[in-house]
Amino acid sequence: MGQNPYLQTQSKFSIPQPLISLHSSKPKKKKKKKERKKEKKRKHHQTKIPNKQNSSLKKHPSFNSADLCIAELTQIKTMSCSNLTMWVSSKSPLSDTSSLSFGASLNPIRLPSQNLTTITPSRSITSNPIRCSLRALRDRIDSVKNTQKITEAMKLVAAAKVRRAQEAVVNGRPFSETLVEVLYSINEQVQGDIDDIPLTKVRPVKKVGLVVITGDRGLCGGFNNFVLKKAEARMAELRQLGIEFTIISVGKKGNSYFIRRPYIPVDKFLEGGNLPTTKEAQAIADDVFSLFISEEVDKVELLYTKFVSLVKADPVIHTLLPLSPKGEVCDINGVCVDAAEDELFRLTTKEGKLTVERDVVMSKTEDFSPILQFEQDPVQILDALLPLYLNSQILRALQESLASELAARMTAMSAATDNASELKKDLSMKYNRRRQAKITGEILEIVAGADALI
Amino acid sequence: MTLNLCVLTPNRIVWDSEVNEIILSTNSGQIGVLPNHAPIATAVDIGILRIRLNDQWLTIALMGGFARIGNNEITILVNDAERGSDIDLQEAQQTLKIAEANLSSAEGKRQTIEANLALRRARTRVEAINAIS
Repeated sequence: MGQNPYLQTQSKFSIPQPLISLHSSKPKKKKKKKERKKEKKRKHHQTKIPNKQNSSLKKHPSFNSADLCIAELTQIKTMSCSNLTMWVSSKSPLSDTSSLSFGASLNPIRLPSQNLTTITPSRSITSNPIRCSLRALRDRIDSVKNTQKITEAMKLVAAAKVRRAQEAVVNGRPFSETLVEVLYSINEQVQGDIDDIPLTKVRPVKKVGLVVITGDRGLCGGFNNFVLKKAEARMAELRQLGIEFTIISVGKKGNSYFIRRPYIPVDKFLEGGNLPTTKEAQAIADDVFSLFISEEVDKVELLYTKFVSLVKADPVIHTLLPLSPKGEVCDINGVCVDAAEDELFRLTTKEGKLTVERDVVMSKTEDFSPILQFEQDPVQILDALLPLYLNSQILRALQESLASELAARMTAMSAATDNASELKKDLSMKYNRRRQAKITGEILEIVAGADALI
Repeated sequence: MTLNLCVLTPNRIVWDSEVNEIILSTNSGQIGVLPNHAPIATAVDIGILRIRLNDQWLTIALMGGFARIGNNEITILVNDAERGSDIDLQEAQQTLKIAEANLSSAEGKRQTIEANLALRRARTRVEAINAIS
């Protein structure tokens, strides 16, 4: 289809003209066809010769049916009548047979052209590509149709999966909400004692662990790219601040991205499953936990795509560890390390989250919270709670990321389906135009030939 | 007077309805909870939760977490929970055997800890079934 734009523009102009002129001449044509059939039997030997030439001509590259129509028209008009009788009669039998059989309809155009080879060799070349481009067009339409079916199916699958992913998020909500609620009420009571808990220990940041959550598959628009771009931006920021970092990559797309860039330090490659479960979240949590506890990193950030709606998803950075009540992490010089546009950070660390939930929590827990007793040491209870909290945060991130991926795929595939139907419409229009142009050309030849015979 | 029990895991709600009495295994031993219990917060160990519902005892295997009791509302947050009636006995016993074998072949501190945890989980699951029958 590469060379077609040029040809199509020509065909648009050239086709209607011959058609209009033909309408008036159509009735004549039928009568004359019969005459020509008789002639063809008489002059059958003549038809064979041009055929041989045709086969050799097929290899030439060339123009388009519309061009041919014009070329033939002009030729016929300018040629002397005596010459014409010969090749018009020879071509007419072919055009009759070809018009009956599919696909072989190109013959009439060839015949005049080979006769002309002696005069203008360049014209003869034209016969070939028409068939190619017509067939190619038909193939192209077919392939577009097939692709459309695939994208349509992918869209439906993604839509079904989005629903399931949303359900998973909804099912997990009571847990995380209650957890935050409990954490808040306990935090209120043990304020001050919290220093002993390793997960909340704020250290000067020398190294940051960045958990990057991507999808496992492509064909979902810019989903993975946005996440990776955000990761690159964050890494550049950290480099500028002179802070080391290490990546924990989750998801196949992210894995292959970081494997291709060996200069980026990666601690671990993990794969996300079809539907994120506690096990996957646990694997990430274990890794993050050991990195933080062993003081290999002083801060852990989670980069994932937040699911806003079916058509909107934002890659965000969210600080996982330390679970600091202040929601701010500073480097050795006391300068805030957090990204300025890290809008979610202040909201999603413990304090931020709790402030969001505070109103609800207060009204619900007020009546018994003041006299709440601790069966064990508060620190021990927090120790049991914080890993749960960490897990649920990671699981939530995984779920949101999956939901965004599926939503992105759904949008991308629905756009692809729309594009395919548009392309299909365009192509079939072009195909029909060209087919019509060819038929017009045939009719013109016949008419002209018949006229010449009289 | 009845208790409202709610057992939550990150994936789903395992139990959310009224009960008569529960026995919960906490980090500092088992505690029984009857209606009008004092408000309490406790860490939950890997172990069985026994629920009495109209003179019938049910079990749920809990995989560690946290519980909050107060105002006749019990909220249990755990990493994972399985009802005793949903566990396949043969599969659970097999897992227990594997866990036992793993523990005996474990090397190093970290492996031992992990194997110990796996063994306790497997044992709890088997106990959860046996407690019914």
